[in-house]
Amino acid sequence: MGVREVKSGISVVAVIERLALREFRTIRASRSFGFDWMQYRSLEVYKLKILPDNTIAGLICLIDHSVEAENAIEIECLEVSKENVGASKRFDGIAGSLIAFACRESFKRGHEGFVFLRPKTGLIQHYTEAYGFRHFPLKTVSRPEGIMVADGRAAANLIKLFLE
Amino acid sequence: MRPAKKSERKSVAEEIKEALVAPGSLKGEGRKEMLESFRAIRKKITEQYTVEDEFVTRFLQLKFLIEDYVSSDVFSDRYFFGYFLKEYISRQEKKNKEFAWEIDIDPAELSLVINRHRRPTDKLIFRLDIHSNKNFPAQLWFKVLEKDRAIELLQDSSIIDREKKHVKRKLSFSF
Repeated sequence: MGVREVKSGISVVAVIERLALREFRTIRASRSFGFDWMQYRSLEVYKLKILPDNTIAGLICLIDHSVEAENAIEIECLEVSKENVGASKRFDGIAGSLIAFACRESFKRGHEGFVFLRPKTGLIQHYTEAYGFRHFPLKTVSRPEGIMVADGRAAANLIKLFLE
Repeated sequence: MRPAKKSERKSVAEEIKEALVAPGSLKGEGRKEMLESFRAIRKKITEQYTVEDEFVTRFLQLKFLIEDYVSSDVFSDRYFFGYFLKEYISRQEKKNKEFAWEIDIDPAELSLVINRHRRPTDKLIFRLDIHSNKNFPAQLWFKVLEKDRAIELLQDSSIIDREKKHVKRKLSFSF
């Protein structure tokens, strides 16, 4: 797993697992995450847990599009815990590992590595440079930022970079 | 309110990048159009895929399925060494005979392994490692084999019972 302790630069052991129903309340109570994850409790939400102290350092919500023409995984939401954002963060590589996990799931479920997401305004360049996503500016009134897509090649690279 | 200094503005932007919160496409207007557009984009990208891209995609799927199976606590009768080996061969669009020739194994032996009538030899596993260009390393195949063995023991207790006569003493307690 490509999660490293910032201070030492040493890789740490981390696992990504499905978030259990009871954990949604724990997440809300912990105040480590700013987003209200309770609204996704009926969907597929995964946690990145850093071992051995089992700290949840990141969350990702995935939507499986199994319709033949779509055949992809959508990243509906991703958040890194507050303790791991900014200059004083303890661990690095959390977002990348979660995105790589989405890519791995896409291959595993037969979606050929396709992953897409709606970018946050201003982050388009970041998704392109850091994760190899391609931007498609589908200008509509409600979605001026378009969508970002990782194809099989980009997905395979991300898996190699963050999960091997 | 005091306007944020340039350095503070930069710090906030960096934090947003790292947090990467991208919620909201599930609800709201424009989702239907977005999915329609995605379908068109996906089709266009896939049309440019090379034969090698398609093979890589198939093999990555198989590799991740094997990895997840061996690391899970699930014991399935459906998945076993021969099943994954058959998948490895069929995803190359090859016949068993052709593949047996490529790794210099008797086609009859390959067939016995695929159909669970014989355990694979170390030699076969090492050749799979080489044939797959280390994409499916020997360690992965041995893990599948180890799980096969555990399933055999779960399903047939007589395998262990047969050895009872050879054990002269045993621990008196059970955890």
